[in-house]
Amino acid sequence: MRSNVMPFSKKAATYAVVSLMLWATSLPLATAEELTWRTVEQMSPADRALYDPNPTKPRDPNIPYIPAAPYPFKAPYTAEEMGYRSAEFPHVPRWPNTLVDAFGMITSSGYINQGVVIVYSAPTITNTTSEAVCEKRCSFWTRIRQRNLGLSASAKRMRTPFEGALREIKPGEIQDRWMQYSTFPPESQDEQQLWIMHRTSPKMANKMDFFVYSAGLRRVRRQPQPRRDQRFPDNAQTFDDVVGRDPWEMEWKLLGTDVLYQTVRFPNTRPEIVLNDNNKGFVKRETSTLKMMGDQYPYYRPDGGVDCWVVMGTIRKEVLPNYNEKFLVLWLDKHSFFPIRTEKYGQNNKLMMIEVRNVRLENPGLKGFGYAAHNTVYWDLEHDIMSYSFHDTHVAHEWTEEQKNMIFTPEFMRREWNFQPLKTQVLLKDPAQAFLRPFLDRGKFPDVRQIELSPQVEARYAAQERAGHLIFETGKPVEAPKPATAIP
Amino acid sequence: MRKVLHLYLSMTLISLAGLPPIAFADVSDIFSNVVSDFDRTMATFNPVGEYFREPLERALPDLSVQGRIKQWTDILINPDKQLGYGGKGLQDYRFAQLQNLLELKTSYAIFPGLDFKAVTHAMYDGAYDWQQSKGLYANRINETAERYNTTDRIMRELYVSYRTAKYDVIVGKQQVIWGKMDGQFIDIINGMDRREGPQLETEDYELRRLPAWMINTTLHFGDSSLQLLDIISHEQDQQSLPGSPWYSPLYTPSAPGGDVTLPWRRPHTGNLDNQEFAMRFDRAAGAMTYGFIYAYLWDKNPVDRIIGTEGQGAATRLLFQPQVNRLNHFGVTADYSTTLPDVPLVGAVPTVFRLEALYTLGVRFTDSNLQAAARAGDAGTDGTVRHDTFRAAIAAEFGLPGNTTFIMQPSLYYTFGWNPALSYGFGGGIENQWTLIPVFYLSHPFAFTRDRLTVNYTLYPVFGGPEITWQGVKSKLRISYKISQFLTTDLVYNSYGGGPDSGLYGQYKKWDNVGWEINYAF
Repeated sequence: MRSNVMPFSKKAATYAVVSLMLWATSLPLATAEELTWRTVEQMSPADRALYDPNPTKPRDPNIPYIPAAPYPFKAPYTAEEMGYRSAEFPHVPRWPNTLVDAFGMITSSGYINQGVVIVYSAPTITNTTSEAVCEKRCSFWTRIRQRNLGLSASAKRMRTPFEGALREIKPGEIQDRWMQYSTFPPESQDEQQLWIMHRTSPKMANKMDFFVYSAGLRRVRRQPQPRRDQRFPDNAQTFDDVVGRDPWEMEWKLLGTDVLYQTVRFPNTRPEIVLNDNNKGFVKRETSTLKMMGDQYPYYRPDGGVDCWVVMGTIRKEVLPNYNEKFLVLWLDKHSFFPIRTEKYGQNNKLMMIEVRNVRLENPGLKGFGYAAHNTVYWDLEHDIMSYSFHDTHVAHEWTEEQKNMIFTPEFMRREWNFQPLKTQVLLKDPAQAFLRPFLDRGKFPDVRQIELSPQVEARYAAQERAGHLIFETGKPVEAPKPATAIP
Repeated sequence: MRKVLHLYLSMTLISLAGLPPIAFADVSDIFSNVVSDFDRTMATFNPVGEYFREPLERALPDLSVQGRIKQWTDILINPDKQLGYGGKGLQDYRFAQLQNLLELKTSYAIFPGLDFKAVTHAMYDGAYDWQQSKGLYANRINETAERYNTTDRIMRELYVSYRTAKYDVIVGKQQVIWGKMDGQFIDIINGMDRREGPQLETEDYELRRLPAWMINTTLHFGDSSLQLLDIISHEQDQQSLPGSPWYSPLYTPSAPGGDVTLPWRRPHTGNLDNQEFAMRFDRAAGAMTYGFIYAYLWDKNPVDRIIGTEGQGAATRLLFQPQVNRLNHFGVTADYSTTLPDVPLVGAVPTVFRLEALYTLGVRFTDSNLQAAARAGDAGTDGTVRHDTFRAAIAAEFGLPGNTTFIMQPSLYYTFGWNPALSYGFGGGIENQWTLIPVFYLSHPFAFTRDRLTVNYTLYPVFGGPEITWQGVKSKLRISYKISQFLTTDLVYNSYGGGPDSGLYGQYKKWDNVGWEINYAF
């Protein structure tokens, strides 16, 4: 007996199958678009249980601008505590290490300016136990205070240089030292910079002693500290974007949660990249396999997403008067509080810059505190400048006293001694290989995030989304951008 | 030759004409296509690096090669046919320089800590060839004015260095740079090729300094270091030659039958008594860095000493022997950084203060009164006298918004016991007891060019006393544009004016010039 149901034609069946496949492939994007972000009110009960909305937790009796609770805090976390945890992860790790940083900038015309520096980093306080440090450094009263805060000498535990800097280094004292040795471009070869970073406080703004060695002039000169909120020349990022802001310089607020599926985006013109595998040799990787939190991160969602807290840090004007940025929005990995996406907003509340990071566990001994930025992309929306920084190799290690005394001094730079040469092959060979501008993620947290691009930038953004790689200024008419909602 | 010159000028003007549209790329979309194509082509344009440096370094992993090709040209705006030299000078040329320099730096790591390094230069100045001029003839006096043709100039630096945590030893021909101000204050170790006269500036020192053979040892103690120098061969300054573009118009050649100056005798190399010694101590202490120096050196320029007379009465001729003299230098350097809070209009201003000072004992000056006495028959004088001198500078550098840098640097030169009969001597006032040069420097990159375009302006007014209170002013406007990470260009305008014709800058009123520099590093 023949069915009354109209049989599918082959064409219709094909159409249905293709439609189904298209729907299936677009599911993660649709999920990311529509379902990923939640305001505080919409958060799941599990997330609510991890969040403490109380803004007035006890303050440290001796350092009133930091929370009294022992770092790294315990759940439920306040927004401020999340902000403090995120400050653990500036551009260069706070633990002692050597890394090679291949960096560059690209303009909308395709001009690129790249460099390679080897960075030696030596924090004053390294990763050790509170007991060991206190025996060496802390006064009797500090030890008493630490004991009251649950950091008794008998309770040995790992604590990070950031935690040490918070409580054990006085404002004005040296917190960290970075020596940077330039190996590319040829014009900058052998140029060096020494950054001696100080612990600041709300009343002590001087952040750095800054020395530059010019190989061309063969001179070491002390330079004024870069203005903290000013874009480096030829770059999208500011000094504070690199060294980090201190958490007491902002008022913290939780905006909600989100799931991120991609941060740094490689173009389809660069399917492979050769990485220096922590100085053990060069390895070729498909760029599509590079994950946001690295290969060892155990908390990826089944669909590959990373669960994030989304917090807002508003600059405290009494601490940073005349600061260029009004507030920041940060996407923090829920487990490590690593900021994998940061947005900066100006005094007019409009988006100025987006910073996205791919992260790796570079110091496994520190567990969640051992993550470090592997690859960072900055996008300055006003000037449409993109910068990138690729920390191709991180070698975590302690410095001997002799090395510390030798390397981290201005005089060392005159010796033109590339003490620990590291190599990299990740520089762009062609402007077409440059990273895509980060997702704008329009639609998320619209009460806070105001995004306005100039028509030219909007057109370039739309063009790159269609092409899968940067489309430079061509002088030819650019198609009108698609509606903003169609652009993730 | 004229055809070559024409082609050269045409090429240069075409390339310069390309700059404005590049610099103002965002102003007009009309140029965006050209700009983008150009930028992407130039982004990776590094032929020497790609076909010479990289293959060489791959073949010899312990070898490091680096270099640059630099072309810089200065064109006088308003040359004067008859100028200087007692009315015999001819400024019948436009190009004050058409210099082309190839620099190659090679370094070979023999084993960790032990390196061999060589810096070679090949230089050719077309100013003597590419224009017809009777006023330029310095190349016939010394060919290095036109091209480097001696091993000494070509093999610029050549040394072996050995480094450990505690000390460095560098043995060979090298340059040691001690100063870091605009101008030379404690930068006294090496001589300098001063062919550019008043246009020799800090950024040129690296190329113009004259390396010397020495043993350079530095001991390191934490934040302190002690450097000891034993300079085996003395290298004096080389002033601009007669018949060179920057030779002083104040020079008057001696009349026939006048005084006689013998060739100067350089201190004999290899004699321990003729070696020079210097030491420097440095210490970094937080926001303050400071150092002290002592040096026992030869003066960089000879002084004419009377060694005899000929004739009698008004017809007496003096016989001069130029000699360099031993000098004892004592110096200090310091810098201090801070942030000035809440400065009106600009907010917090990161600031650095720098100081350099040098006190020199027993600088020898020629004294016209003593020369007159010698001419009158006083056999007890050699026509010179010793005085102490002092030179110092204090600089304040401010980091202003928009990546703008402003530097103020008052510089003082002073001669103790000065009198009007004295000529110039090392470190002292210029034609005066004291000379004050308050240098002003302003630099600003333009964001609309993505900071590729930077404008610098420097002003050097010269005051003095008690004789010539106003000695003129020099100003320099430099517009730099970065074509790529390998190629940069500069457009430079220098002007000289004010003050009497005998003033430091007043004498160069006819030397205003515009120039360009193209620098390719590989």
